[in-house]
Amino acid sequence: MKYAYYPGCSLLGSGAEYAVSGEAVLDAVGVELEEIDDWVCCGATAAHATSHLLSLALPAITCAAAEKQGLDVLTCCAACYSRLRQVSADLQEDPDLRARVNEIIEEDFQATPRVLHITEVLRRDVGVEAIRERVTKPLTGLKVACYYGCLIARMPEELRIDDAEYPMLMDDLMSAIGAEPVDWPYKTECCGAALTLARQKTVHRLCSEILKIAKQNEADVLVVACPLCQANLDMYQTEAEKLAGERLSIPVLYFTQLMALAMGLDSDKLCLEKLIVDPMPLLAKKGFVVGEAYL
Amino acid sequence: MRRELSDKALHSEFRLTVEKMSGQNLSDCYQCGKCSGGCPVLPDVKHSPNQLIRMVQFGLADDVLSSESLWCCTACGTCNGRCPMGVDIVRIMDTLRSLAEDVYKPHGALEVWTFYQSFLDCVRQFGRLNEIGLMGGYNINSGRLWTNMIKAPWFILKNKLTVSPHTIKRIDRLRRVFERIEQIEESK
Repeated sequence: MKYAYYPGCSLLGSGAEYAVSGEAVLDAVGVELEEIDDWVCCGATAAHATSHLLSLALPAITCAAAEKQGLDVLTCCAACYSRLRQVSADLQEDPDLRARVNEIIEEDFQATPRVLHITEVLRRDVGVEAIRERVTKPLTGLKVACYYGCLIARMPEELRIDDAEYPMLMDDLMSAIGAEPVDWPYKTECCGAALTLARQKTVHRLCSEILKIAKQNEADVLVVACPLCQANLDMYQTEAEKLAGERLSIPVLYFTQLMALAMGLDSDKLCLEKLIVDPMPLLAKKGFVVGEAYL
Repeated sequence: MRRELSDKALHSEFRLTVEKMSGQNLSDCYQCGKCSGGCPVLPDVKHSPNQLIRMVQFGLADDVLSSESLWCCTACGTCNGRCPMGVDIVRIMDTLRSLAEDVYKPHGALEVWTFYQSFLDCVRQFGRLNEIGLMGGYNINSGRLWTNMIKAPWFILKNKLTVSPHTIKRIDRLRRVFERIEQIEESK
């Protein structure tokens, strides 16, 4: 299994631990990655909220490069994934639009590569059996709230990879590594996403609600598959606690960090120290990491 | 608010423009309100998604385009997922924002507008987004210099942000792409 890999901008910065742990997990289960040559930013919400043409052109440049490499695209970031998948579908469907975009981006893009998210590759292409076989330290007794956010599950119906309101891709992966996914109603509620700087009150309120509901459903940790969800939910817990009127302090990890942990990969592939709400005391208490200091 | 509805209002040029730009048929919306029921920013807005669509149906261009509610949208897509008629509401909101940008630049939404601009300026310059550059650009351009400064020690301690921007190889081509799109959009 080999894919054209699109890290995306966040994974070079604030989401570095997602990149490191995700690449390590994919490697461990035999998925080969070839980085897309000279990829560009997908434009995210900033592009599609302001210019339709730009929101098509930026992902098309990257997908055209992947097409030249002759591979399907794999990406970890939920926002990149949603833009790339949407744009390649739009351009596949509409030859006139494709011709127009090709003229703008100086390419001859045919929109042939499929765009896949890391959760669907692990769940469907690799499969839970293969993952289970690779687990050396099952995370038995760890209650995990899988938080998908908006962009992974909620694509237009024909592009959807999972149920839009109650997705299971990550839950299945967490079960495969021995953790216990909790049944909770906020899997796809929005965290406020790109309003993170511009409308902080909104983001604080939404994060507070998500964390509060996760706690009510007895989750030990939240796992996410989107760098912006991770940043918002992890960074704004002080503000969220004020709004919730209770102590939250829930570690927010990338699902790949827990997978790497269960597979016994080196600690430098886990990057747990990068998280703001420190998961170590909890993981030590549950016996998943060694460290008397945390007990 | 009482308004007279004329045939002209119901077939306004504004409504046709929105339909054409978004590729959506606004008559599909029968105002069930499911989009607004699931909207995460409903507590923050004056006009809910279905109200905005109603206003477009009635041709109330000024009221729609000057509404700050357009800029509260997180583009989460809950509305799209729940619309029983399959209306792409996010696409309509994108269309309204781009129309509002020309007419009411950036009415009541300076911060959101500045964030998007700072983001795209950075992409135009380097081909990839540099988060420190984005935060700095946003704080300077919006005049809200202290946004998230309280979080700065964490970012530094956790080595969360890379300081050096990554510039792509074919940056010249990318700048031509930006210029072409600007020309096309200005000539409209």
